[in-house]
Amino acid sequence: MSILVDENTKLIVQGITGREGSFHTRQMLEYGTKVVAGVTPGKGGQTCEGVPVFNTVREAAEATGANATILFVPARFTMDGICEAMDAEIPLIVTIAEHVPVQDMMNVYHMKKERNCTIIGPNSFGIISPGKSKAGFMAHRIFSQGGVALMSRSATNCYETVQMLTQNGIGQSTCIGVGGDMIPGSTFAELLPALQEDEQTKAIVLIGEIGGNEEELAAAYIREHVTKPVVALIAGKNAPRGKSMGHAGAIISADGTGSAASKERSLREAGVSIAESTAEIVGLLKKLL
Amino acid sequence: MKLMEYQARECFERYGVPVMKGVVVDDPSKVREKVKALTFPVVVKAQVQIGGRGKAGGIRFAETVEEAEEISAELLHRELRGLMVDRLMIVEKAAGIQECYLSIVLDRSAKCPCIIFSAKGGVDIEETASKEPEAIVRTQIDPFVGVRRYMASYLLSRTGLPLELADSLFDLLKNLYRFFVESDAMLAEINPLLICEGNSLLALDGKVDVDDSALYRQPQLLPYGEAVRREELAAEAQKYGLLYISVDGEGDIGVVSNGSGMLMSSMDLISGAGMTVGAVMDLGGGAAADKIKEAVRIMFLNRKLRYLFLNIFGGITRCDEVVRGVLAGLDGIPPESTLILRLEGTNKEKGLAMLAEAGDSVISVDGLAAGVEALRGRRNGK
Repeated sequence: MSILVDENTKLIVQGITGREGSFHTRQMLEYGTKVVAGVTPGKGGQTCEGVPVFNTVREAAEATGANATILFVPARFTMDGICEAMDAEIPLIVTIAEHVPVQDMMNVYHMKKERNCTIIGPNSFGIISPGKSKAGFMAHRIFSQGGVALMSRSATNCYETVQMLTQNGIGQSTCIGVGGDMIPGSTFAELLPALQEDEQTKAIVLIGEIGGNEEELAAAYIREHVTKPVVALIAGKNAPRGKSMGHAGAIISADGTGSAASKERSLREAGVSIAESTAEIVGLLKKLL
Repeated sequence: MKLMEYQARECFERYGVPVMKGVVVDDPSKVREKVKALTFPVVVKAQVQIGGRGKAGGIRFAETVEEAEEISAELLHRELRGLMVDRLMIVEKAAGIQECYLSIVLDRSAKCPCIIFSAKGGVDIEETASKEPEAIVRTQIDPFVGVRRYMASYLLSRTGLPLELADSLFDLLKNLYRFFVESDAMLAEINPLLICEGNSLLALDGKVDVDDSALYRQPQLLPYGEAVRREELAAEAQKYGLLYISVDGEGDIGVVSNGSGMLMSSMDLISGAGMTVGAVMDLGGGAAADKIKEAVRIMFLNRKLRYLFLNIFGGITRCDEVVRGVLAGLDGIPPESTLILRLEGTNKEKGLAMLAEAGDSVISVDGLAAGVEALRGRRNGK
């Protein structure tokens, strides 16, 4: 099965005619993703990489029956793009831009609760269900199909882990870039139920980092509801306090909230195996699978 | 971006949050002229972002113009706990009944703004939180509803303060929240918030943290950024869209990577191996050759660094661009220094082939663990 994206995903690319949009549309098409439409206001009627372009998301969705969208638009247009996709009732919205204002995401987060849609990102590499489809900019060659689902706040730590998994013959069901911002469209805890349900997924890897308390909330959910083995890595143990480490969300506050120690403790208490490094994840999974 | 106190005060004033009358001076000879408009006694406050500013002598009281001049001359353009004092704020001394604490902060777990209030102000809220957690009251604001009057009554009732203050607290909350939203703030803190005669309130000190990602739509705040003293190398890096973060003053290892996650993982492994990272740099995604060249140059401006680990796992970043940048920047690497390069991902082979040109000046490693091993080997070899 896998979750969120698969061979039935019909994807819109918002911002398809831009430099990154067109480049990654080509990459996604090569991977097998069904990119059915692009959106760039003012360029409706053209084609880009063989994909029809529309002026608005609603027109693109009506013409193609699209059921997902990815935004290759700059941060300052991200909120508008998400609202447009929500208005067009697209059930899955993937956002990759870095530096989206946090109050924009705060409002988006509360809007999505009123509507039946899933938002992934921002500051994310997207989603890939290896062998089926990808909606994102990840270097897809390192991924392979299998039974391990992966959620990560960091793209680079996800790549590092996936490459080692693939080299060791451990394939992946779905890999999700939760994103590095303070307020993600979907949190670890919100994604866990689908992974627990998914038949293809045999084990779950959670790559968190310092800052916030989403790992603690995930731990609380895992303790009550997840029966599959979970391995977690928390990056940033040695980061200095009070400094954002590049990801807007990766900051330990002055009172110590968001520390790696608190996250690891909560996860351990929920029965999660903690890896000290990306390299250790493979060994732990081999024991658990 | 963290605003200076005088900047926060200006913002509060603009939004109708009550503040004391005051002036900003950057020249001791101008003090006499500037304080004419004020009623003495006054408070002279050094504008530097340090903790314990009062204890460090950065907050002083003056009864007369002469005294204000004297204190200003002592404080201005001198260092206070390592930071240069470029400006002073001189405000009228307030008389009040009780000091409270009030802030609106973006609550990450609830994903909405949250009001934090305490009848015990004047000290760090973290301190109150650890010593007397029951003295702190919180209430969340639904972003689609905003501040309501009952919130003021709730905060007062829970902290045992007279409900007669509800009108002025509600007014202040509305104004502060409007500022918070319109300025893309993540924190707007008033501490102390002074309760005065006649149920009025006064903001005596302010802390504001604005979301850097939203500065593009806050043109009125941009000039404020120029007044904030930044670490020299961080400021230099910022010019090129790079993020420089100092970690440990004693560390001799620098780490540069194309992602925050990889940076943190590298630091964790290096520290785990008993070595000390001095500074790190995030290139962000998709850095081209010229940016890589600047990154290497800026890292080695930190004279403590002897080893630089450039750890790239390219998705949107291309390895050949990285190598092109490294080759262009080879001259900038000081003698006796080591550059270790780990390449993975997009265009890795192309990058590795180009790297042959660099000869012995760059150590190429395969994998994150191999990079840390190489660091250890080189440091032990000397």
